[in-house]
Amino acid sequence: MAFVNLKTKVIQVKIVYYGPGRGGKTTNLEYIYRKFQQRINSEMVTVKTHGDRTLFFDFLPFDIGMVNGYNIKIQLYTVPGQVKYNATRRLVLRGVDGVVFVADAMAVCRGKNMQSLENLQENLASYKKNLNALPWVLQYNKMDLLEQGIPLLPVEMLEQDLNREFHAPHFTASAVKGTNVAATLKKIISLTIASIKKELL
Amino acid sequence: MSNTSKFETLSSELESRLDDLFREDAPPAASAAPARPATTPDNPLGELKKTVLSIDWEITPETIDSFQDHIRLLKEAFQRDKIISMFLQILGSLGQYIKTSRNNVHPSTFTVLNSVFARLEEIVTSPTMPAPARKKLLQAEMALYQDLRDKILKRRASAQPRPAGKAAVTAAAPAAPAPGAGAPPEALAQAIEELKVFIRSELKTLKEELGISARRT
Repeated sequence: MAFVNLKTKVIQVKIVYYGPGRGGKTTNLEYIYRKFQQRINSEMVTVKTHGDRTLFFDFLPFDIGMVNGYNIKIQLYTVPGQVKYNATRRLVLRGVDGVVFVADAMAVCRGKNMQSLENLQENLASYKKNLNALPWVLQYNKMDLLEQGIPLLPVEMLEQDLNREFHAPHFTASAVKGTNVAATLKKIISLTIASIKKELL
Repeated sequence: MSNTSKFETLSSELESRLDDLFREDAPPAASAAPARPATTPDNPLGELKKTVLSIDWEITPETIDSFQDHIRLLKEAFQRDKIISMFLQILGSLGQYIKTSRNNVHPSTFTVLNSVFARLEEIVTSPTMPAPARKKLLQAEMALYQDLRDKILKRRASAQPRPAGKAAVTAAAPAAPAPGAGAPPEALAQAIEELKVFIRSELKTLKEELGISARRT
């Protein structure tokens, strides 16, 4: 549940980027940080990394500013995608308000995507949350690899595998190039704020 | 105005703000590094921020110790600033409560911890903020903190219908911060008891090991 302070008129929202390892979660945050750093006036914190893989977490907080009299603060987190770090993933999901599921569109990653989505559902269930009630967005990442002749999963197949029962908004994207990174972020923020409208009105 | 139209106003205001923030008309900032370390020379709270985030993630003895060390250092550095000292006092009390309660920490504690830290950071990084504004921020966080204390005491009371006494109830709640006050006596007593148990256990193990090696020789 988002933290809404009616006295100070502050809303704090936690959004977690989830998905299989090497899928592009950190790349999403790095793009947002690099591209919009001057406007969001924030710093990205990466805590404890080993090599180029996230072992602990990436964290990017920023303020949207005043909207309808409320100061809206967004906190973006990523989770480590590797299967063995499930305890860490579950901890990051504590108090989550919205999720971006970053799927790897490479054909060889079909199983990993489904496994990761299943893992997300299990971990959310431990907090009595589920994807039918939580704002979330799917991002089919690495679409740029098609130019290099790498086989990708068709969007229809990705939708069938991951979104068949949810019908969540989805975006094809290239986090490396920045394609639809901002669109994904804007969508999840809008959905999450919409989910707490009762508290705001 | 009806709730529907109020929400429409909010939505359109939000969309417009998001479009302003995330328009794609500028190339990425060339100077932007992939990720900056938590500590920067112009932010004395950088290291503390790292430990706050770590505690929010997982409570370990190392993160709590590191958090308390940073609080101690900052208290010295800001001892002439009453408002900042009070913020640090609240953070210190929350840290002590988290340390003694570990897995039984009230879930709202992390929200309050993050909120208090965020306001402290706002004050520290805004040296020109007027005194009344600083005081107002402190009062708001004090209210949150008191609210948390009440919740903790209520939870303890409902978990233990017949507590042994007042000390038993207050031991697990963060102490009310008072300028110049140290760790709460109950928490201190509990920490000393834990230390005693630990030392006894270590001594026992040592004695056993010495006994074994003496028998061998």
